[in-house]
Amino acid sequence: MKPLRIALTKGRLEDDTVALLEKVGMNCDNVHNKGRKLILPIGDGSIEVVLAKAADVITYVEHGVCDLGVVGKDTILEHGGSFYELLDLGFGKCRFALAGPTGRNFFTGYHTKVIASKYPNVARSYFEGKAMDVQIIKIEGSVELAPLLGLADAIVDIVETGTTLKENGLAVIDTICHISARLIANEASLKLRKVEIECLAARMEQAKEEAQ
Amino acid sequence: MKKNNLITPEGTHDLLFEECLARQAVENKLTSAFRTRGYNEVMTSCLEYYDVFDPDASGISPEEMYKMTDRRGRLIVMRPDSTLPIARLVATRLQNHQLPIRLFYNQPVYRSNPGLAGRLDENAQAGIELMGASGIRADLEVLTTAVEALSSCCPDFRLELGHAGFFREFARQLPISEEEREDIRCAIETKNYAALDTILDSLPQTMAVSGMRQLPRLFGGEEVFQQAKEVCPTKAALETLSYLHQVYHAVQDLGLGSHVIVDLGLVQRNDYYTDLIFTAYTEGYGDSILFGGRYDNLLARFHCPMPAIGFGIDVEALTRIALSKGHYNAPPAAQVLVYGENGYSIKALAHARALTHQGLRCETSVAETREEAEAYARSLGICRLDVVGARISEVLL
Repeated sequence: MKPLRIALTKGRLEDDTVALLEKVGMNCDNVHNKGRKLILPIGDGSIEVVLAKAADVITYVEHGVCDLGVVGKDTILEHGGSFYELLDLGFGKCRFALAGPTGRNFFTGYHTKVIASKYPNVARSYFEGKAMDVQIIKIEGSVELAPLLGLADAIVDIVETGTTLKENGLAVIDTICHISARLIANEASLKLRKVEIECLAARMEQAKEEAQ
Repeated sequence: MKKNNLITPEGTHDLLFEECLARQAVENKLTSAFRTRGYNEVMTSCLEYYDVFDPDASGISPEEMYKMTDRRGRLIVMRPDSTLPIARLVATRLQNHQLPIRLFYNQPVYRSNPGLAGRLDENAQAGIELMGASGIRADLEVLTTAVEALSSCCPDFRLELGHAGFFREFARQLPISEEEREDIRCAIETKNYAALDTILDSLPQTMAVSGMRQLPRLFGGEEVFQQAKEVCPTKAALETLSYLHQVYHAVQDLGLGSHVIVDLGLVQRNDYYTDLIFTAYTEGYGDSILFGGRYDNLLARFHCPMPAIGFGIDVEALTRIALSKGHYNAPPAAQVLVYGENGYSIKALAHARALTHQGLRCETSVAETREEAEAYARSLGICRLDVVGARISEVLL
């Protein structure tokens, strides 16, 4: 039997997922000592971990070259795609928020607002839902800069504690949605390897609930 | 301005040599499976009016369609699907035809996909439509044809059965708005248990709600039917379940055995499909390779109400699978090269024609000299050179 291949989002989600997998009883030494390797067998070898950037996790799962993936809801909302979203893993928690300069009422006035964001699709669907015409500008780096420099009226970004916003004279205007890490599955893989995948998902869910 | 004269549009590709062989072989196997079961081929225009694919009827979003206008400003699309044009064709041109009507198609469909995701915008599809027949005999007829056609190209596949009636019946029991219904449908379609629970938690906890909660989890084999029996909220849902069970057994008995699976949470384009839905997967290919179902309301859209069922097979996917298995190799060199000496070129052409009539693959040389012809044959690996002069000499290289 081919090993089950799971793509993890590099960085913090990777660490949290590995911790969860270890709690499930899988030996993840290969991930801790990965060196330059990109495909790492874990546990008894029936599972292989692949490390990738967030959006690539979705791409690999969508095409079925990885059976499972762990990726943030933020990436899912921005990137879209067709796959099964099996489990809310409960870590990597934060939220999408609309934020603007403190003390200024964002919703007043009739001029078209300019919104800076690293997540243009999330921003677009949020304002479409409000039937508000806005101009969205994609920013790659620190989005907080855009309103400070006068480029944008507000930003749509991920907010964890709100400290960065506060330090830059910005405040949350509205929470768009909550975010956490998700376990996703390729559609064909779930159908063809139902027992293995459901068993792993159930163990992960149980470990998550025990941790809480 | 930068010219795009050396590349193909995103989501399209050229096919060369063995790729063409593989594609043609797949098409031939599928179409001959359809033909031997009494289905007749139709071809529809690549260009259709947008109105044929009205998103409310087709479930195809306007963003996915390649659009243009005709001379009078009417909106035209490149067909994003073959079933709707065939429904149009049946409703307008085969009104008085003996029912049921058995048709098959083998033509590409066009969808505008989000860029750089590795999906094709031009996708070859082949499938059948059985129009004017309902009931289990018609459903099984189409399922067997699907199994036979797929088996001829890709023996190792899993056929999955579902039924649009479950979601419809469960949703009818819930006090929900149209939007909430769509949110629930999406959550079930993507097996997003977390999102589904969030929506359902806000409703009064009835049997239909707990059934809906289970719906995306109800997939697998025989055991699903037992589990589903316990959560079916109404008599109608139970009847649907027993119908599906009957179909499941029949398909198993047809020789598929454990290769049939069920998924009661199959809700794709739900309002398009009305009853049985089915799809197929194969190891090593991340997407479904066949999709079909019964769509009894569609023909009424074209003012010719009649029941209908059909499926489409992803020819592109089967071609890629066949190529990845190494079933097709680059076409071999010709068996004979015919070179005519000066003054004998007509005789050489006649000789080549005689050879091809014997069934040999044969090229006629366009070289000026015999040495050039020989060098050409050697470089391509052609093993025999026929030199045509006053007499014909055969040289083995």
